[in-house]
Amino acid sequence: MNSDREYRAGQVPLPGFGDGAPNDWAPGDRGPGDRGPGGQPAPARQDGIRHARRMSNWTLAALIAGTGAATVALAHHAFPSATTTAGTSATAAVPGQATTVNGASGPQVAHSVASTSPSGVTTTTTTHIVNGKTVVTHVRHVPAYHDN
Amino acid sequence: MTMTRTLTSVSGRTAAPSWQRISTGDHAVAVAQRDALGTTARLAVWPPENADAAMAAVDDVLAALDQQASRFRTDSEISWLHRRSGGLFMLSDGLAEAVSVALAAARWTGGLTDPTVGSALIALGYDRDFAAIDPERRDPPPAPAPAPGWQTVRLDGPLLRLPAGVRLDLGATAKGLGSDRAARAALAAAGQVGGLLISLGGDIATAGIPPRDGWPILAADAPDRAGGPDRAGGPAAARGPGPAGASRAQLVRLPRGAVATSSIICRNWRRAGRLLHHIVDPRTGLPAGGPWQTVSVGAITCADANAAATAAIIAGDQAVAWLGSAGLPARLVAHDGEVRYVGGWPAEDGGRLQVPAGSHVYTGWGPRGGARPRALPTGAPPCVMPEACEEAPSSEAPIREARK
Repeated sequence: MNSDREYRAGQVPLPGFGDGAPNDWAPGDRGPGDRGPGGQPAPARQDGIRHARRMSNWTLAALIAGTGAATVALAHHAFPSATTTAGTSATAAVPGQATTVNGASGPQVAHSVASTSPSGVTTTTTTHIVNGKTVVTHVRHVPAYHDN
Repeated sequence: MTMTRTLTSVSGRTAAPSWQRISTGDHAVAVAQRDALGTTARLAVWPPENADAAMAAVDDVLAALDQQASRFRTDSEISWLHRRSGGLFMLSDGLAEAVSVALAAARWTGGLTDPTVGSALIALGYDRDFAAIDPERRDPPPAPAPAPGWQTVRLDGPLLRLPAGVRLDLGATAKGLGSDRAARAALAAAGQVGGLLISLGGDIATAGIPPRDGWPILAADAPDRAGGPDRAGGPAAARGPGPAGASRAQLVRLPRGAVATSSIICRNWRRAGRLLHHIVDPRTGLPAGGPWQTVSVGAITCADANAAATAAIIAGDQAVAWLGSAGLPARLVAHDGEVRYVGGWPAEDGGRLQVPAGSHVYTGWGPRGGARPRALPTGAPPCVMPEACEEAPSSEAPIREARK
């Protein structure tokens, strides 16, 4: 167990790199085979890399825009527009862990829908083994309730 | 006492009692109610067409929880543990989560709630489903003893070490956890569309999008004599004082989160002439005393609210300070009917009950019916009573040492 912790806590060099390898790396560095005469990078390869980087940037931007659009579309479907009347905020799906979503709201509810109160007893559950089978019985009754 | 047999099933699988639709006067929300876990489950859901899917999901969750954690079913998983008189057990994910939440609540409350009070409850006479208890038993209970202590129980993921003689009672958190699970499962079954509220014996969790201004809920000091805890449904003007001696019910609006109530005026019985109830102080093994007969607490999860409300009853004179340090809104009703509001619980009728973000005992992110525990008792949950928690040993450590 201790050796596991030490392994995770320490810096673990990747194969082929020295101790300082991550810090020594720089964007312009390349292997010896990539350099042209006089130690400069080969021009054609350099242009190719720049082109690839430009394309990557455009791809990244497109991905961000697409993700945003998809999020908006999903949110639109998740919250029915028929009931989004005058509300200003609402909560997302996970119980308790709410996320505010502007522009979505539930219906107007005027009457109380539940009570938080001392829990009365309304059923009795008993189990019996009959011929090797478990029989579960629920019995409903008026709550046994005492005033102090 | 009127009794009517409503359901019998064979082979260990219990068919769910049927839901009864309830008209509250609002057609935008479907409300239904059924018996569950010895009390009443109520579901309110919008849009109403999601009700059937939500009810089916709630049925599954409640059946699973009953099978996992009911002390009163001989075929439940926790009863099986108790018959083994201690040892190391591999729990189902659902029971492991329920135990982890109970232990996290014990740690958070500094031991005010403690799942090891099972033996104390049995000694007092709460050894069977409540309705089967003799309400006027004559023989005195044995001498009380403090609970063994939640620190004696070790839980590492699904592995539980239970000392011999220790019986678990998850009453301080299980109903709240059930509401949390049911709310999440029901909303998932409804395709994450709309919103819903689930109440298990008055412990309420919400999910999804609430009605405008929040879910309208009655905070009551006594149950409805005729049909369990949920007597909601009327407009504010229709509400009157509760039973004799109880203060007036209050309407609050819950935009998110949960609210739960603990009380000593229900589930009580007499033994040798003495009135006993089901909320046991683990420090003494006796029913909790103190000035409060009913405490309602709001929190982000119902497990948190359930644990905090029970802890406040047990904390007695220290309850207001404890709730203040926990930062939770609460409504405390004294024995004389005086009502005290703390932590931002609205004093006015119809006020919004805002609950703080962040759970102390339950993350609620697992799959339906009980996930591999995400909030282990030795994990991150902060402790409200640091002096008690700092002395508590890590409940994972012994098992890990044993594995080495």
